[in-house]
Amino acid sequence: MLVLVCSPLPRLRTLLQRCWGRLERGLLPGGLGGQSPPWGPALAVQAPAVLPQAADDASESSAEALGLLESILWMAVPKKRRTIEVNRCRRRHPSKLIQVKRNIDTCPECGNLKQKHILCGYCYAKVKAETHLIQMEMRKKEGGPFKAPTVETVVLYDGEKPSEKDEGKRIIERARKRPSWFVQN
Amino acid sequence: SGGSWARGLLSWARPERWLPTCSLFPLSCIHTSTSLLQKIGKWEKKNRIVYPPQLPGEPRRPAVIYHCRRDIKYSKDKMWYLAKLIKGMSIDQALAQLEFSDKKGAKVIKEVLLEAQDLAVRKHNVEFKSNLHIAASLTGRGHYMKQIRYHAKGRFAFMRIVRCHYFVKLVEGPPPPPEPPRTGFDQAKEYVQQLRNRTLVHTL
Repeated sequence: MLVLVCSPLPRLRTLLQRCWGRLERGLLPGGLGGQSPPWGPALAVQAPAVLPQAADDASESSAEALGLLESILWMAVPKKRRTIEVNRCRRRHPSKLIQVKRNIDTCPECGNLKQKHILCGYCYAKVKAETHLIQMEMRKKEGGPFKAPTVETVVLYDGEKPSEKDEGKRIIERARKRPSWFVQN
Repeated sequence: SGGSWARGLLSWARPERWLPTCSLFPLSCIHTSTSLLQKIGKWEKKNRIVYPPQLPGEPRRPAVIYHCRRDIKYSKDKMWYLAKLIKGMSIDQALAQLEFSDKKGAKVIKEVLLEAQDLAVRKHNVEFKSNLHIAASLTGRGHYMKQIRYHAKGRFAFMRIVRCHYFVKLVEGPPPPPEPPRTGFDQAKEYVQQLRNRTLVHTL
């Protein structure tokens, strides 16, 4: 991605100007002679001791900032373009290829595929759908939030009567045949 | 009689190429427009070749089905890993692997394989839908678009919306056995054979 600076910050501009200046001086060392560069830690050293404290602090902070900006030039950077052959060796290495999964079986209930340590997706979806309908019935019976009764709930399907054990429990009626997987107690 | 004369003349030069589905009745064939948007790709055209009937003694030519999906919103390099996974597998094994893969392209490739299986059974005279294996699975670069992406401090960059194509070739029959990996012994044997094949050139 190419990052373009539409409103360049003054710090970046000064850094670039300084880099350019250094390059020029590097190319023509004899032109300017042995003049000390106008920036760098030498500025703080050459300043006289009679300068006020504020000026010293400013020069020190600016020297630190300039040192930080210059240290950006010594960042780790690729020296050469990686050829497509080298890139392919890395991208197609066996460790990067997708492993073949050996833990896939068939569900004994529905016959769909399932992973050995995970529930069958189809069976889970059908149980979830039925649970959702039961919950809708419960919400209709309660008629609002925070009205859950303090007794147990029993789900009865078509043609089922509550037994003696379900005396004080809340009964939810579902208008369909009992599914084979929902075992009645 | 004109059709049979043409067939007899051109039988020596790739007869299947000269018998497309609409050769004898040009008026009844589907006319395709060659606009930029509706161009039929080369992979789709591979399904149209029709071979001449086989002679009684020839071994049975297995059914081949070419199918593809164009401009999938996924990277071709990422899709390639899935294509490499299912290369050479039977279709059932490939579907099982793709079902439990967490990658976005796995869902797309599974749909493509199921479509291709359906095509095979309905149109390409394949008897058993499980008796197919994946002979080739490739990815290709789709149409890319550029879009601006905004960064902080008023900066911006151009990002690429990448798309890919996925191509699959199903062949009837059980999958071929995987070839044994190349050992050092094989490489040494080949090297010695190369040395033995050397001869003197430009001599009597």
